[in-house]
Amino acid sequence: MNFLTLPFRMIWHALFWTFERATWQYDLMVIAILAFVWLTPPEWLGDPMASGPGLIGILARLVGLR
Amino acid sequence: MTFTGAIGRACLFPLRGIIRLCVVLGIHPNVLTLVGVLINAAAGVALAGGWFLLAGWIMLLANIFDFIDGKVADELGLSSKFGGFWDSVMDRFSDLFILTGLIYLYATLDRPDYVLIAALTLTFSVMTSYTRARAESIIPLCKVGFMERPERIVLFMIGAFTNRMAAVLWVILVLSILTVLDRIYFTWRELRTNPPGASA
Repeated sequence: MNFLTLPFRMIWHALFWTFERATWQYDLMVIAILAFVWLTPPEWLGDPMASGPGLIGILARLVGLR
Repeated sequence: MTFTGAIGRACLFPLRGIIRLCVVLGIHPNVLTLVGVLINAAAGVALAGGWFLLAGWIMLLANIFDFIDGKVADELGLSSKFGGFWDSVMDRFSDLFILTGLIYLYATLDRPDYVLIAALTLTFSVMTSYTRARAESIIPLCKVGFMERPERIVLFMIGAFTNRMAAVLWVILVLSILTVLDRIYFTWRELRTNPPGASA
């Protein structure tokens, strides 16, 4: 694995997950997942049940992107 | 201390009282496991009806039973191989009830795309545990991959309580596929570097 640069190592470890729970790597993964779940506008995913635009949707409207 | 560790400790605190109560009442851990599955079946029905908030509360209750059964077994000295087997089988039923409820919901909403996503999530959720079980019949341990049952449970509850089930399904699906691939690769690598009988 030494031939890989840091970004590739990070991607490799995220894909080939071997970390235990309650480690900082686990915390990072949890933050990334929660960010995706809560910030992605439901309409981007075609969510049949969700209501409201989500945080990114609100921000996009505020800056006039949509 | 990590923040997920702190959350885990905070959640364990009220559960200690419930565990204590079950031990005092002498409730058999296998009964707790079964009750947990039956409550999860009710959560599946709530999801099928689109009542996400209700489903979230039911899942929370069900997973209290799911969490405490092992601890009660330890405290009562009733830990057994059959208990582990029973727990594992009942966990699969819980996963299937929850995801079948979602498949039914999306079918009634006439959304074949999400029926497919939920069906694939169901497939890879079952394969996640199957690959580990089969791997550990030929190698000592195969605990790789992020998306195990506790993560799935918490994500389903987050999806239900915050009405973001579609995003949760995508996360569980993608990470379950990666987990299954991880386990296949890990098992192949272990068998290649330590073939069975090589150390004997």
